[in-house]
Amino acid sequence: MRRIVLRRLAQIIPLVFAVIVLNFVLIHLAPGSLFDVMTSEQQITDPSMLDQLRHTYGVDQPTWVQLVKYIWSVMRLDLGFSYRQNAPVLDVIMDQLPATLILMLSATAIALLVGVTAGVLASIRVNSIWDNLISLGAVFFFAAPSFWLGIMMTVLFAVKLGWFPVGGMRTIGTDNGAFADALDVMHHLVLPATALGLFYAATYARVMRASMLEVLRLDFVRTARAKGLSSTRVTLAHVMRNALFPVITLLGLQLGTILGGSVVIEAVFSWPGIGSLLFDSIMSRNFPMVLGVLVLGSLLVAVANAAVDLLYLRLDPRIRPR
Amino acid sequence: MNRFSRRDFLMTSAGAALATRLIDPARADVEAPKRGGTLIATWGGLEPQSLFVPAGGGSSPYFTSTKVHERLLRFTVDLKFEPVLALEIKPAADFRSYTIKLRDGVTWHDGKPFTADDVVFNVMEYWKPISAGVSLDALESAEATDPLTVVLKFKAPVPEFFLKSVLAGKSGLIIPKHIYAGSNIITNPINNTPVGTGPFKVKEWVRGSHVEYLRNDKYWNPSLPYLDRLVIRWWRDPASRSAAFEAGQLDIGTFNPIPIPDIDRLAKGGKIIAETKGYSNSAWVATIEFNQRREIFNKREVRQALMQAIDRQFIADTIFFGRAQPSVGAIHSSNSIFFTKDVQDYPFDSKKAAKLLDAAGYPVKGGSRFKLNLVSAGWFEENEKIGQYIKQAFEDIDITVDLVVPDRATSLKRIYTDYDYDVAISNNSGSVELIPSTTEFYTTDGIVKGAAFRNATGYSNPKLDEVVARMAVETDERKRIALAGDFDRLASSEAPLLPLVDLEPVTIARSDVRNHSTTADFMGESWAELWLDR
Repeated sequence: MRRIVLRRLAQIIPLVFAVIVLNFVLIHLAPGSLFDVMTSEQQITDPSMLDQLRHTYGVDQPTWVQLVKYIWSVMRLDLGFSYRQNAPVLDVIMDQLPATLILMLSATAIALLVGVTAGVLASIRVNSIWDNLISLGAVFFFAAPSFWLGIMMTVLFAVKLGWFPVGGMRTIGTDNGAFADALDVMHHLVLPATALGLFYAATYARVMRASMLEVLRLDFVRTARAKGLSSTRVTLAHVMRNALFPVITLLGLQLGTILGGSVVIEAVFSWPGIGSLLFDSIMSRNFPMVLGVLVLGSLLVAVANAAVDLLYLRLDPRIRPR
Repeated sequence: MNRFSRRDFLMTSAGAALATRLIDPARADVEAPKRGGTLIATWGGLEPQSLFVPAGGGSSPYFTSTKVHERLLRFTVDLKFEPVLALEIKPAADFRSYTIKLRDGVTWHDGKPFTADDVVFNVMEYWKPISAGVSLDALESAEATDPLTVVLKFKAPVPEFFLKSVLAGKSGLIIPKHIYAGSNIITNPINNTPVGTGPFKVKEWVRGSHVEYLRNDKYWNPSLPYLDRLVIRWWRDPASRSAAFEAGQLDIGTFNPIPIPDIDRLAKGGKIIAETKGYSNSAWVATIEFNQRREIFNKREVRQALMQAIDRQFIADTIFFGRAQPSVGAIHSSNSIFFTKDVQDYPFDSKKAAKLLDAAGYPVKGGSRFKLNLVSAGWFEENEKIGQYIKQAFEDIDITVDLVVPDRATSLKRIYTDYDYDVAISNNSGSVELIPSTTEFYTTDGIVKGAAFRNATGYSNPKLDEVVARMAVETDERKRIALAGDFDRLASSEAPLLPLVDLEPVTIARSDVRNHSTTADFMGESWAELWLDR
């Protein structure tokens, strides 16, 4: 087991290296540069000042030198300096990463809770009105763009009913202690996490339903019932546990796309995460920031996937190494 | 131009009278201003990269820094100068030197006194080399003759209106010498938590969310600011800003914070108002630019023909929902000092445009007169729509058009660095003073490869350069206005680049937000005089 953990962690190193090289090359192949954007914003035309800034930003060096220097600094756990934000890349990311993690984790929790529950319900009442309604809901939330869903939820629950704030992460200027602050964040989190989570809930519901129906037909379920176990116990302890494997696999695969989806949701709900930071950085060709976000993002996804793999091993003794 | 005479300037410099002066009768509330409260504000763009970007950095850091950093002067909505940190600015008889008397008793947010040394540092170390660029080319020296007096010396006569415009403009923000001296002003970390003399102090910047300012209790005008707290929040999505206004979670938004079709709907109930005043010193236009490096556009007749093929009223009505108007010449129609209608007009007439092209030697051959690349800068959504319309308008007169709408970085590179376009749709924002913000799009010295929002067309006309050079040193304001007319007539008839429509930016505010939009650049004002009627 320990060897497997170490092997999984070791696989992260070439992955991060590939992320750096690929994105570095892609950003440099894109037309326009951070230097162009910043000097145009700042209306700098003096040739000596332009040269000075080229040197300061390090863009007066060949691309391969910039790449080698960047890799070397990442190896020393330094993600570089963002001249656009006038701050170290890691500082800016760490300011905004917690918000994204809270959003991602909440959305994942909602997706799992709603999706798995709906999938189980649909499978045990197959072809009933419940099954049809859940299938219809799953298709709807799978097809609805998350930004549209976010705006519709805002109009209904924030503007018309006034139950939730329109955007942001907390009520600005209040300081009522840690507990009240946590409640305030949760209050702000409901709409964005739901808007982001429902798409994935729809996927999980469909996968869970299909998986449950498949497991329900297996011999061990019939045996469990023949032994006199209650229907609830059979469903929860035997069928659901085995039907969860495809959902867990999917969860690991979708962590990256949840991070991508948060870019849109953060924009709609003014959620102060790294999604907006990444989008702005791509638009301004701010490659130290883009690479910083992607390096940390890929690390997160890789670690989460490794954790999912380990969970898989834990749940299914058949695939454990002997 | 008597209304901008020195006497008028001095008359308006009644010091603390600034506190209660109500400039716009539309908001000249008879009630006494109320103290206190928190104002939640936003604008129609993104979060700034830094709260203060010394060399400019666009509208967003300008919005956030001007609540902290002040200027010597400001421009009212009726285009008069008012004192801020300067009490008096007096030219010598030859207009080659100016004496600036500073306000006494001003302190920086950290408690240090504001003195003439700060102004000298700003003039020589910040404005001239970094923020003002060519505007202060003629400046030779700045000297503090006593703690509250500065003398500026120039190598040529400098018009009073021109200098005051620089001091009241975007490049005239004053930063503390004791913090910036000896450091790189552009990369100083303090730019993310700026310290100034302004009415608000930065409390906290939560990246991705908002910046919170608190009242500066030691502001030089003890009755200001009225607000206890100011919060600037950012929403990327304009529809979400609309929702925030409707839900009562936003008080004011500048520079088109919500989608144009939402404006009338929100304003209908009377709780929210839409205000177009407050943008004349930052007047935006959408432009069409003809690349002179292409042989076809060396012919003035071709440029003029294409201008006549465009229905600018259609652009204003359909693309901007009436929140714009067809431009008349090179000068924005809100510029009540220099604007003139006495310029060459291009009424929409596609048949006449086709005849002009025939006469210019470009008849239809094989179904097309010629082919051109149209680059529509993708930083504003409307530019793409303008590009689509112009493609159709040009195709109506048998010109084949390849339209591309690149993102911001690519647009900047293609238009202003590589000059990789035949016709471009872009934008610019000009101040009331025409030099250099308007003239540099036409003059030869405006051609600087890689410098955005300047002369990218490559147009060069010694006659026009001469007119602008004379304007730069003409100290008689009536003669300056006449020269501005000459410039506009030349630019309009030559048409290397012309504004298509004059944009009318809108401020959206709740009706209980008072005393806003009272200056010529409201977004870049300190907002000390805003108050809440709650």
